[in-house]
Amino acid sequence: MKKVVLPPESLTNEAIAARLTNAADENLKKGLINKRNLVYLELNGCSGNIISLLNGQNPSFEYTLNSLVDLRYSNSLMAAEGERASEKLMAVLDEDFILAVEGAVALKNNGLYNVIGSLDGQPLTGLQAATILGERASHILAVGACATHGGVSAAKPNPSESVSLQQVLLDREMIKLPGCPVNPDWFLGTLAHLLLYGEPETDNLGRPLMFYSTLIHDRCPRRPFFDRGIFAEKLGDKTCLFKLGCRGPVTRTDCPTRQWNGRVNWPIGDDTPCIGCSQFGFPDAMAPFISFDTTRVVKDE
Amino acid sequence: MQNIALIRLQMNHLVTQARQDIHSLSVMNDSSDNSQTLQRLWDTVSTMHFLSEMLANQAMMAGYYFSTVPAPALPAQTGTAAQPVVPPVTPLPNQTLPPPGERTLTLQELETYDGKNGRPAYVAVGGVVYDVTNNRAWAAATHFGLVAGKDYTAEFASCHAGQESILATLPIVGRLAE
Repeated sequence: MKKVVLPPESLTNEAIAARLTNAADENLKKGLINKRNLVYLELNGCSGNIISLLNGQNPSFEYTLNSLVDLRYSNSLMAAEGERASEKLMAVLDEDFILAVEGAVALKNNGLYNVIGSLDGQPLTGLQAATILGERASHILAVGACATHGGVSAAKPNPSESVSLQQVLLDREMIKLPGCPVNPDWFLGTLAHLLLYGEPETDNLGRPLMFYSTLIHDRCPRRPFFDRGIFAEKLGDKTCLFKLGCRGPVTRTDCPTRQWNGRVNWPIGDDTPCIGCSQFGFPDAMAPFISFDTTRVVKDE
Repeated sequence: MQNIALIRLQMNHLVTQARQDIHSLSVMNDSSDNSQTLQRLWDTVSTMHFLSEMLANQAMMAGYYFSTVPAPALPAQTGTAAQPVVPPVTPLPNQTLPPPGERTLTLQELETYDGKNGRPAYVAVGGVVYDVTNNRAWAAATHFGLVAGKDYTAEFASCHAGQESILATLPIVGRLAE
C-alpha cells in the first residue's frame, strides 16, 4: 500500500517539490533512474509552449535540464546554429531519445511552408524532421494545441495546410498535451512520470489523466453562481461567466486548482472567461471567445 | 434580518458537513471513496464562498442604507427588501412533451431563438425542439462552432452517436413543423 502523506508534514508546493526532487536525485545517484535524451522540436507554431515552459516552477526548467534529461536539440534554446544544429539533430537518431514536438506540421508544397533548418545545403522541413524523428523516438509527446490537433496553425483558412503530429505519424502512439500554451507542470510532470514510472495513464484522446481528467466547470469557484443562474454581464463581474461564452464547461484541465504563472492566478480568477484553449478543435470550435449580445437586451432591434 | 439568520443556519450546516468530510478523509484509506468526499468538500467550500459573498453584499447595502438615511432606520426591513435570498436551484428539466398541437415551431420561428439579446436558445434534433439556454455546453448560445436556433439532427448524429441520453437531460419546448 502507498504511504499516505499526512500533516504535520509540510504540504506547500515548495515542500512537495523538494521531496520529489530529492527522491529523484537520490535515485539518479543510485543509478535507478537514467537521464534520457530529449529532442524538443518546434515546428509550425509560435514557440509559445517553450516560453511557457521557461516559466516552470517547482520543478523549474533548469532542474529539468540538469537532472531530468539531456536536451540534445531545441530550436530556441541550443547554442549551435545552421548546419551544425541540424547535424546535432541527426546525431541523436542512432541513440535512444524522447521526442517532444510543439507546433503543427505544415503539409503545403511538400512541407516547404515550415523550414526549421538546413541539412547538406538543402532546406530541412518540419515535415521531414517530424517523420524521421517520429519513427525512431522511444516516446513521443505532442506539446500544445498545434501539435495535438492542429490548433491555431490549422485554424481556418489554414494557408499552410497544417495538421497535427498524429496525422503525419498515423501508426505511432503519442501522449497528447493540449493547451495554448501548455502549462509548464503538464509538460514537466508528464516528462517526469515517463522517466520515473513509464507512460502515465491517459484518456481515449491520449491526454494524461493526472492533468486533464476533470472539467474546469466541476472545480470552478464560481460554480454556485452557475447553479443559481447568476450570470456576469460584462468582463470584471464576479459571478459566473457562462453567458459571456465561458468554455470551462467543455474543457478538461486542472486550471482552477493548479493556476498559472507560478500558480498565482488563472483566467476566471481574473474575471475573464475560459476560452477553451486546451480543448480539441481550439480555436475554431471555441469561437467566439467573448459574447456580449446574450444578456444585453436591445430595444427596437 | 430573517435572511441573515437563514444564511447563518445554512453556513453552520455547511461547516458541520465540511468537518464531517475532513474527519472521514482522515480515517479512510480507500482512495476510490476519497474522490467523492473531496468533490463534496469542494462543493461545500464553494457554496460557503457564495454565501459569504452574499452576506458581504447585504452588509454593504445595509451600511449604505444607514449612512444615507440616518434618522429612523428600520433595520427589520433593510435585509429583506435589499437582497432576497436565492434558494439553491436544482435544475429539473421539463421532459414532458407538450400535447400535440400545443407548440409547433417552424424553422423560421426556431431561428429567432438564437440566445441573443436575452432571448432563449433553442435547437432541434430529430423533430423535437430543446431549450439549451442554460445548458452548460452551450455557453453564449454556441457549442463547438454551432449557433443556437437551428436544426442539428445531422450534427448530433455525427458527434454524439449512441449518446441519446444527452437529449433526455434537456427541457423540451415543442416540435419542429414538418
